[in-house]
Amino acid sequence: MISLKKYSHIAQFQSLIALFFLCMALALMTDNFMTTDNFWNVMRQISVNVCISVGMTLVILTAGIDLSVGSILAFCGAVTAGLLKYGIEIPSANLYIGFTVLGVVLAGLLAGGAMGFINGYAITRFKVPAFVATLAMLTMARGFTMLWTEGHPITGLGDEFGFLGTGWFLGMPMPVWISGIVVIAAVILTTKTRFGRYIYAIGGNENAARLSGIPINKIKVWVYVLAGMLAAIGGLLVTARLDSAQPNAGMSYELDAIAAVVIGGTSLAGGRGTILGTVLGAMIIGVLNNGLVLLDVSPFWQQVIKGIVILLAVIIDKSNSKSE
Amino acid sequence: MQLFTIRLLYVLIAVATLAGCGEQKGKSPDQSQKVAVIISTLNNPWFVVLAETAANRARELGYEATIFDSQNNTALETDHFENAIASGFDAVLFNPTDADGSIANVRMAKKAGIPVFCMDREVNATDAATSQILSDSYAGCVAIGKYFVEKLHKQGKYVEILGLVGDNNTWSRSKGFHSVVDHYPDLKMAAQQSADFDRNKAMEVMESILQVHPDIKGVFCGNDGMAMGAYQALVAAGKAEKVMVFGFDGAGDVITSIQQKKILATGMQFPKLMAKTAANYAHAYFHGKRDFAQKVPVTVEMVNQENVHEYVAYGSE
Repeated sequence: MISLKKYSHIAQFQSLIALFFLCMALALMTDNFMTTDNFWNVMRQISVNVCISVGMTLVILTAGIDLSVGSILAFCGAVTAGLLKYGIEIPSANLYIGFTVLGVVLAGLLAGGAMGFINGYAITRFKVPAFVATLAMLTMARGFTMLWTEGHPITGLGDEFGFLGTGWFLGMPMPVWISGIVVIAAVILTTKTRFGRYIYAIGGNENAARLSGIPINKIKVWVYVLAGMLAAIGGLLVTARLDSAQPNAGMSYELDAIAAVVIGGTSLAGGRGTILGTVLGAMIIGVLNNGLVLLDVSPFWQQVIKGIVILLAVIIDKSNSKSE
Repeated sequence: MQLFTIRLLYVLIAVATLAGCGEQKGKSPDQSQKVAVIISTLNNPWFVVLAETAANRARELGYEATIFDSQNNTALETDHFENAIASGFDAVLFNPTDADGSIANVRMAKKAGIPVFCMDREVNATDAATSQILSDSYAGCVAIGKYFVEKLHKQGKYVEILGLVGDNNTWSRSKGFHSVVDHYPDLKMAAQQSADFDRNKAMEVMESILQVHPDIKGVFCGNDGMAMGAYQALVAAGKAEKVMVFGFDGAGDVITSIQQKKILATGMQFPKLMAKTAANYAHAYFHGKRDFAQKVPVTVEMVNQENVHEYVAYGSE
């Protein structure tokens, strides 16, 4: 246990150093990086990825993977927007149900949780590999999004809802508040609770965990439910920021999330990694995205550079775990 | 061995059942003709409008219509063509994924005796499709470029937000725009970035660009979704009044925004018109007409705050 703890400290330290150098370099190369405005821009821009990546971290810690988060994000955003704008109308029963902002937020979370539950159930009950089960959900959730929106964006959701994405509270943008609360809750969950310890145990050695009486299936299902709900929060933020639920929202967001988790030093083999590492990973990606645009680097090169950063992060991570 | 035989039997039964279903559906007694609508992608409202209008027009004319989504994948498009030919479709209303990559698919249909009518995007062959009803993105962006130059009074810094960098529409639009704007040395492109035709990405890219270039005067976006995203970033930065936003497509959001004087101009393509024309051509083909013009250009019209009252989303009914 001691070496495990020490390891995760080193990994975090590394991401922190990388982030520091990245910021220094950008501060030297452009006058506009180290400004308050730009700081909040970056923080706001990464808030969606932070929410999804936190869920992805939990999943990867159990040695699983969740490819469906981008589609779940789109579906939950669309459900939220659709219910808020149109409510539920059943003409045959002469029934109309309107929704408050709180109501649609809960409905969105419920939808995300339900999709996560299907993922978890398929994985634990039918032993479908996580990669396959969530790949299937990636396609299904995208299809449901298309069905729900009929392929068109749902726009014009009102200021109250828009506040969640564009508003400020006590000098900090709302998306940063929301993602910040998510991070704090996840840190407590993983470090201070039995549930958190079980997650690490399952990822570290599933058989040993089973033999020591940990309810593996139950924990795993919950982990996917949480990942689905966190994707739903991401969907809320995207939708509120744009004042519009886009049917193609969240495309390939799962890859950004996996990248953040990996850069943050979490092992894809499970059992090793931290939430704060992932947050640093998301910040590195966010700062990189922002910096490449500030420097007006060609869009072709941007993709190459991002790929190299991910590769380097993993190589450094590997060489470290060997030296231990 | 016995187990194998039983399994084989199951498979055969399954296949026979499926084939039976297909048979019943395909050869109903009052056999109406079937039209396949094969669309490059349904992941963008603009193409959804194109696909649905084409299918609905075909149904109005009394045909069965089915929409196939190629998901921007030429290989998947090939599958759709093969399936459409095999299941006895009589015409294809086609929006190609790629001007070159889709030629083979069109030729395959032609060989099977099925007419193909291209909508919006062309294939780079004049002997494959029966007729091509095309939106002229390049010329449309030339018109926007001219208006852009006029509105910026031939000087100042501007930003271009590109669509997917691997998509040929991105570049035909960009080239059309630059063919005009690049003649004015006092118009300086401060940044050229891609936002993948995505509203959220356009907003984020614009937020970042505004940090470096708070003094830009105009933004040209490769589609309307990105124009909306860029506009939202400008609103958040308190610069919506100072920076002129130009889009391309003629989507609902942007037409409304032009009416509200938020966005300056867009290039109106006419997806509904193109789709209906293609369906009407198929109808004429079934009634014996064969002499179609190879290319039917549909002009992209510039919508600005002066003439926006003449337009609705996606053109006119």
